[in-house]
Amino acid sequence: MIVFDKVSKKYGTGTIALDDVSFEIQNNEFLFLVGPSGAGKTTILKMILRQILPTSGTIMVNDKDISNKNFKDVEKYRQTIGIVFQDFKILMDKNVFENIAIALKITKTSQNKIKQEVDEVLSLVGLETKRNVFPLQLSAGELQRVAIARAIVGERNIILADEPTGNLDPKTTWDIMKIFKKIEDEKTIIIATHNVDIVNSFKKRVITLKDGQLTKDRRLGKYEL
Amino acid sequence: MKDIFVSIKRAPYQSLGSFLILFFTLFLSLFFFNITSFFYGILSYVETRPQVIAYFDVQTKEKDILTIKEAIGKTGKTSSIKYVSQKEALQIYRQLNKDNPLLLEMVSANILPASLEVYAKKPVYLVEIAEFLQKQEGIDEVNFQKMIVDKLVTLTTILRRISTGLFIFLIFITIIVLITTTAFKISVKRDEIEVLQLIGASKWYIRKPFIMEGLFFGFSSGTIAFALFYLVFFYFQPFLSSYLTGLPKLGFYNLTNLNIYVYPPSIEFIALSYVLIIFFGMMIAFVGNYLATSKYVK
Repeated sequence: MIVFDKVSKKYGTGTIALDDVSFEIQNNEFLFLVGPSGAGKTTILKMILRQILPTSGTIMVNDKDISNKNFKDVEKYRQTIGIVFQDFKILMDKNVFENIAIALKITKTSQNKIKQEVDEVLSLVGLETKRNVFPLQLSAGELQRVAIARAIVGERNIILADEPTGNLDPKTTWDIMKIFKKIEDEKTIIIATHNVDIVNSFKKRVITLKDGQLTKDRRLGKYEL
Repeated sequence: MKDIFVSIKRAPYQSLGSFLILFFTLFLSLFFFNITSFFYGILSYVETRPQVIAYFDVQTKEKDILTIKEAIGKTGKTSSIKYVSQKEALQIYRQLNKDNPLLLEMVSANILPASLEVYAKKPVYLVEIAEFLQKQEGIDEVNFQKMIVDKLVTLTTILRRISTGLFIFLIFITIIVLITTTAFKISVKRDEIEVLQLIGASKWYIRKPFIMEGLFFGFSSGTIAFALFYLVFFYFQPFLSSYLTGLPKLGFYNLTNLNIYVYPPSIEFIALSYVLIIFFGMMIAFVGNYLATSKYVK
């Protein structure tokens, strides 16, 4: 479970990225974060990933206070989180298999297990035939599938996606969202997006942010600013 | 290994820079290590020679000589004193000139002086011992090697200081160059490092390829520097041997019981040089790459 309790983030420049935000996310919940640019969506994702710390308030993830400055085991904690970026962040000198396998290699998983798990996830994202292909030979949609595969492979139970379809055409967007749909019962999925159609058609929980404040938190919500 | 070669291929000039600076440093280090060890060997050898030799008039009685020997011993400044009688002097003379019968015929024990060979506890006592002996009755001549020992001590000290200074300077330059080249390689891989950090890779996991590459350079440049140094050394060895004729085997500090000789270099000394240079090369490479990655991998 993820708990944000009165979390604020103020930068040195005076910009308030988050202002007294509180919410809870249950395990295996599917959630959209919506709001205009600069509303604080990415800040929330970065805080869950412990890329940035709040100025005040507490963030608990599976009963661990990750907002504590003295929180250790950041690396181990991040190994439970999968992250998908708008710009994919695929390693260009590694092929599809290697790009996905890296998420398991860092956890010292055995070679046999890596092979087995990567093959499973490749099948899930529909890239079985592209196993040994290098990123330059892939389309944007395929690159994002690789990124999702890297995010969901292994024991990563929380998936954070920051505008995962921002660079994709409508058809590919839906293909990508179908992958998230396939794993929604096994993982906590938090997607920050501007895509109205997706949010409205998925009928999942929607948290709306504006100027760093949480303005709406609706079950079966819609894209409303 | 595959990753190391890929990285070298990706930044060949930076890799060449890292390799050359390490090679240069290790080659010079090996050179100074050998030279310093050689002079220490010479110094140790000279220190094992009699440091003060007092030759007596041929008329001086053995009883008087032994009295003087006892008196010097009581000063507490000597580590040992050896009395060489006229007969023993003749034996030594015969041994040294056994191939020259003419010289042997001309000399008898009566014309050779008896002597006392004195070893001082410290070089500073040499002058005092020599002065003490010169004041005694029946002394013909006193020879002592203070000048030689002093010169060797000075030379070895200067050499050690120069090599240490140069050594520190070379290490400093090498580490700076390694940090710069590694930083460049890190900047090329910045995106990869960012992704690795975000998915939970440990600092060591991120550092490992850079450090392994550094260790590879340390090992390979050390090996090549070693091979080249001894190739040059053995090429010039005939010339050195003729120049250093008469010089006995020079030990490497007190490790002669392990058969470690600086000159002529024993296999054990060569092996020790290799181990030290490889260890040193890998250490510098490790430190350089560790510092570089510390700055960029946070």
